Amino acid sequence: MTFSYTNSAYPIREDITQAYQAFWHKLARPGAWWSGAQRIAIAAEVRNAVECQYCQVRKSALSPYTTPGKHKKGNLLSDTAVDAAHMIITDQGRITQAFIDKAALQGLSNEHYVELTGIVVAVFSIDEFNRALGIPVEPLPQPVAGAPSHYRPANLSTDTGFVPMVSVDGAVGNERGLWPTGRSANVVRALTLVPDALRDWFNLASAQYLSLEGMSNLVRDDNRSINRMQMELIAGRVSAINECFY
Amino acid sequence: MLRVSAKATNTTIDIQGISGDASAAAQGIEYGPELMRFAESLARRNEPDLTAARKDLLEAAGPGVLVDAAGVAANFQRMVRIADSTGIPVDNLDNPLSQQIRADLGLDTFSSARNSLAITATSS
Repeated sequence: MTFSYTNSAYPIREDITQAYQAFWHKLARPGAWWSGAQRIAIAAEVRNAVECQYCQVRKSALSPYTTPGKHKKGNLLSDTAVDAAHMIITDQGRITQAFIDKAALQGLSNEHYVELTGIVVAVFSIDEFNRALGIPVEPLPQPVAGAPSHYRPANLSTDTGFVPMVSVDGAVGNERGLWPTGRSANVVRALTLVPDALRDWFNLASAQYLSLEGMSNLVRDDNRSINRMQMELIAGRVSAINECFY
Repeated sequence: MLRVSAKATNTTIDIQGISGDASAAAQGIEYGPELMRFAESLARRNEPDLTAARKDLLEAAGPGVLVDAAGVAANFQRMVRIADSTGIPVDNLDNPLSQQIRADLGLDTFSSARNSLAITATSS
């Protein structure tokens, strides 16, 4: 059983455990553009990135794009994919359109990049939850064989951000219900080139923070021990340290 | 969202808690300084500080608050990376409240501000 938290000094809410177990189950299986083994290799790069000496040197350099060096990494993914995963963890504020365009020329398509991003940020947030509580990270799952679906949404636009996204009025057909409130902020659309990446972050956010519907409650969710102001103080401080303008 | 949630409950807060001012974090927010320091030490990856902050928050507020605070902090470690790695601009950049918060917290100096401000400069 994954995420049993039996050795935790603190009781972990059941919905958190279930959300993490559900993501681990999906992580091991083929996605839209990566195999199960590749998805787990991407997850492993999250853990390599936080210990990567080259990333630390690059983070302090005037430009991240002119600093020579080699990442701490596994051997299943291309150097371009490894670099993207590490950059998202350690220096995300300096990712540019040019970085993503160059990655695409080197074989990391926008579709591969978006699915990779979804995996990286999901695994990182789960690992960070454990680290926050002093709990060792969960061992990565064993891969399940199979081929990626190569699913690409029909209604994409390129007018926002670095990668194609489902258009504001494009949540129809297979994408129906992607924004259940009927309103879509840019951050909701960000990963929709791979719709399951958005579904994954909704599922994790509903347990770690609030559901999309729950975000309209500005006072307090009955199932949380902290009120909305306390949540937003934490959110704001984490975002400020990460220098996140959004 | 801190200002909006404070307004919803008619609570007076000081937004400089987001900038790391402990006395500001205490204004109107129960366990504000402890929550702020816990979030800060996690995001800075300062393990000795995180251990101390976890202990302080646990002693002050109990395990339920600690676990829920860990969830929110972990969630936003994810969200900032989604935003920056996809280059999305802020949705409501022209909103007066958004502009005021950017000014109060000095957000325009962040490198990822270019994803929003460059668009404004281009369209104006």
